[in-house]
Amino acid sequence: MELLLFILPLFFALSVLIIPKQGVRAYGIIGSLAVLGVVIACMMQYNNDGTTHYFVNKPWLAGITLSFGYDGISLLMLLLTAVLVPLILVSNFKNELAENRLFTSMVFFMQLGLIGVFISMDGLWFYIFWEITLIPIFLISWWFGAPERKAALMKFFIYTFVGSLAMLAALIGIKVNAPTFYIEDLKAVTFTCKTACWLAMGFFLAFAVKIPIFPFHTWQPDTYTKSPMAGTMLLSGIMLKMALYGMIRWMIPLFPEAVACLQWPVIILATIGVVYGAIIAIKQKDMKRVFAFASMSHVGLIAAAIMVWDFDALSGSMVQIVNHGLVAVGLFLAVEIIERRTGTRNLADLGGFAKQAPKFAFWFAALAFASVSVPLTSGFIGEFLMLKGLVQFDMIAGIVAGTTLILGAVYTFRAYQLSMYGPVTRDQFADLHWSELVVLAIIILAVVILGVYPALITDFVNPSLKVVLETLSTPSGL
Amino acid sequence: MSVSQLLPLILLLPLIGAFINGTIGKSLSKVMVGTIATGVMAISFVLAVMAFMSVQHSEPVTVHLFTMIKTSSFSLNARLFADNLSLWMTLIVTGVGTLIHLFSMGYMKHDAGYYKFFTYLNLFIFSMLTLVLGSNYFMLFFGWEGVGICSYLLIGFWYQDFKNTLAARKAFIMNRIGDLGLLIGLFLILGKFGTLEYAEVAKAVMTEGFEISEMLIFGITICLFIGATGKSAQIPLFTWLPDAMAGPTPVSALIHAATMVTAGIFLTVRSNFLYELEGAHVVKEIILYVGLATSIIAAFIAMRQNDIKKVLAYSTVSQLGMLFVALGMGAYTAAMFHVTTHAFFKALLFLGSGSVIHAMSDEQDIRKMGGLRKKIPVTHMTFLIGTLAISGIPFLSGFYSKDEIIGHSFESHKFVYFALMFSSALTAIYMFRLYFVTFYGKFRGTHEQEHHLHEGPASMTLPLIILAILSVFGGLLNLPGVFLHKGTHWLSHYYAHNVAGPGVAVGEHGDPNTTLMLMIVAGAMAVVIAGITYTIYVTKNSIPKEDDQLKGWEKASAMKLYFDEIYDFLFVKPVLWLSEKGAHYFEGAFLHRGVVSIGKVIGKSGDLVRKIQTGRTDNYLLWMVSGIIGLIVYYIIYYKN
Repeated sequence: MELLLFILPLFFALSVLIIPKQGVRAYGIIGSLAVLGVVIACMMQYNNDGTTHYFVNKPWLAGITLSFGYDGISLLMLLLTAVLVPLILVSNFKNELAENRLFTSMVFFMQLGLIGVFISMDGLWFYIFWEITLIPIFLISWWFGAPERKAALMKFFIYTFVGSLAMLAALIGIKVNAPTFYIEDLKAVTFTCKTACWLAMGFFLAFAVKIPIFPFHTWQPDTYTKSPMAGTMLLSGIMLKMALYGMIRWMIPLFPEAVACLQWPVIILATIGVVYGAIIAIKQKDMKRVFAFASMSHVGLIAAAIMVWDFDALSGSMVQIVNHGLVAVGLFLAVEIIERRTGTRNLADLGGFAKQAPKFAFWFAALAFASVSVPLTSGFIGEFLMLKGLVQFDMIAGIVAGTTLILGAVYTFRAYQLSMYGPVTRDQFADLHWSELVVLAIIILAVVILGVYPALITDFVNPSLKVVLETLSTPSGL
Repeated sequence: MSVSQLLPLILLLPLIGAFINGTIGKSLSKVMVGTIATGVMAISFVLAVMAFMSVQHSEPVTVHLFTMIKTSSFSLNARLFADNLSLWMTLIVTGVGTLIHLFSMGYMKHDAGYYKFFTYLNLFIFSMLTLVLGSNYFMLFFGWEGVGICSYLLIGFWYQDFKNTLAARKAFIMNRIGDLGLLIGLFLILGKFGTLEYAEVAKAVMTEGFEISEMLIFGITICLFIGATGKSAQIPLFTWLPDAMAGPTPVSALIHAATMVTAGIFLTVRSNFLYELEGAHVVKEIILYVGLATSIIAAFIAMRQNDIKKVLAYSTVSQLGMLFVALGMGAYTAAMFHVTTHAFFKALLFLGSGSVIHAMSDEQDIRKMGGLRKKIPVTHMTFLIGTLAISGIPFLSGFYSKDEIIGHSFESHKFVYFALMFSSALTAIYMFRLYFVTFYGKFRGTHEQEHHLHEGPASMTLPLIILAILSVFGGLLNLPGVFLHKGTHWLSHYYAHNVAGPGVAVGEHGDPNTTLMLMIVAGAMAVVIAGITYTIYVTKNSIPKEDDQLKGWEKASAMKLYFDEIYDFLFVKPVLWLSEKGAHYFEGAFLHRGVVSIGKVIGKSGDLVRKIQTGRTDNYLLWMVSGIIGLIVYYIIYYKN
């Protein structure tokens, strides 16, 4: 049954190309829900003891193994992907793009790549799927993006490609000493600290670009603003989570020796990113750019917390990965809702919509609060655990990263108030369409439920995190 | 019902009210909405009284709801805790809350967002109750941020005026600065004790042989205090509170006078076992002097404010400062006593000002009022009682509670005693000025306003009357031992009974003769000031000058000592500057150009490459895919060999 994880997205990606145009919308949503069904079925089956459940695990060609499987961490990422894709399709419902066969096909290809990344237990497959995800997202933005997208996309492409090459080099470098690319084989290889640092840096470069970590982020705001809304959502909601996942699954377990030398530099860069992103976000005029920099600020904290490599902080970062995926999609939808109705995202031209669209005002406000991680939302639980880890790791780093609490409130409410409050600026502003309402409501509901009862996530991933942490504390070679 | 059943109900009722009004309130009639919101509050209050009765003489009660997070080293629980401290706060919150809900039914009658207002108000009560009833710092933090959100929503309630939303944002952000401090304090506690439960921390601290480094206890207590400065509007984080007056007046009464702003006091009293530790003495000194400075500075600013609500707002800041002075001296019970009486008379004054504003058709400037005492007699009488109580006129509640704090300072810190007396004198001056200018003299408003002048409906006057009665007799709660032999110090005994910590158990009371002397001095001062202000504002009939005619200290007071301007220059401008320049130069030019030039170097590196660089992305993609495939193929061959 697990093979359906591959087959279904592939099937829908191809079959959507031949169905009539009027049916594409519904077909896409049905397809994505089917994938969600499969993921849920996998979750039901999984016995949640922290071990990896392999559904294929055999040697194949030339040291490449066919090892695909999942543990709690992978399943959570799969679930996030499987939930966000239908949400993205539904939020796209009102756009003409939703009728486009190629677009829908690309979304499914994207999903295929993401699923592959999360269940590959072989280094080379991980790399291949990692690269595959780049193609559909690039094409979505290239074909359907804003008119002046080309320069931004080239930048995006060069960045990610350089990062990927570095990762490939590192993979090959480590494989020289291992019989196969199978994750357990790779983990068994030990290095001197110096070699480990170089190799880990290869992975880090690829991840740092995707996350993005300061100063590898300059592709991000441009690409986000020039992509169509669905592309931005895919990028910020799921795609950058690949890199965070990659840090937990690959970078640190493969090179535990490198933690000593990489920990501080990464935490410093990530923490700078937290503050830098937040400060830049404050004065941005384009609403989408505000949330692009906000996203950078938020994920910087996750990256820093992962590098602390402490059980609680990791637990918190898993919660925050889910939370950020949901909230980012919601915020970009809110921006899209405004752009659809007014044709602009420029904060100076907006205002007063709260009066005309009270429903939208409510849900957007709820999102804004979720985005600044107030208690009763999952963001709070995530940030609480992550900041606790950081503070106990280093007080200064913790305090500096903690300023996100303050600065986050500044830019989020500035954007919200400038667009929603003040005197009315448009003759009319239609309230939410059902498709918009559904997405926002599901997101808020999920965020609040997870915020009140985060055990839903933590109970699920903690056993697996424990296993990952244990392998690190006693690397076979040390 | 047992207490463990009552507690969740007390907490949940306001949430249910908020839920009903938030979902279907729009389609209900206004009377219905108001009745639901006020009804749940009243029931909650009755249940709180029941819980209070049964816990008062027995052990504290803990109710476990569910576990929120369980990690390897600690677990965070949603748990409720009832001891005499938390139940006392619950009584204040639900009691005063009910009255203010009732008042709002009349006050907000004509507002389109009626149902929204009551939803937020109920939600606020829910958050505030979580704050006081939680059994650990984690729950406290939930409530702490929750009240901040509700405060934000209610300050910006009239959002079409952008100024209001700015005030709301300012409040939220300044609170968040404090919240960060509090959060770090929580991490430190968690790191040291492995738990955030009050009871467990208290037990650990009070166990024989407990050791903690001075540095750490300093860090914990100062962090908690930073949190308190945000919520309770102390220097340096106090400037949001006067701006928060942009919200509807019942909100100012409930949140920004009676309940939310006392959260910082509650936190400190709750944590008194930490503040009584060896290393925390420095922090207590800091609290003492921060409180003192806040008290005097705010009172000074209140001297020349002409907005009726602004005067009361600075007065609140000043009173809160005095409360922190009490905490800094370790006079926890005295602080809680003053919190209680302050809740009565400050809520009364704010509601009274609301009634005035209501009568004056939304005018808030006291220079345009005058002579209102005959037009709105109930408001006038109750406002007078509030003024007398806060000014420390003998035998009203404020007289006793303030005197207890001042008495404490006389015993230990003579300098603080004189400073507090000065602050009290200022309080009496600006309060009587406010009262006389508003209610005496000739009416200075427009004809239209004069025509409209009217007393509010019963739903508005009834809360005023009840609060006035409480303001008069609230002092009975903790009478000093000067006049009677029995029945004194009730509140002190009450707290000493089952509230954890060595701080509240201190039962020492000053020597009766000294107390009596201090009372006479303070009382006489208040009466004399009342007389002097009467001659100035009534006999001589002088009216506050226009702002541009002010000079010297008057101008400094009217300009709020330029705090906003200084903060703007020191913090706001630099951050905005960084944001703008950072985006332009660093983000735009430096990083961007760096990337572009790397791209150019790659582009120029040889003719061969140039031919491949067709500029068509499809080609690049093709190259990429074939690159991957090539690598795989290469690898397979390499491996086979």
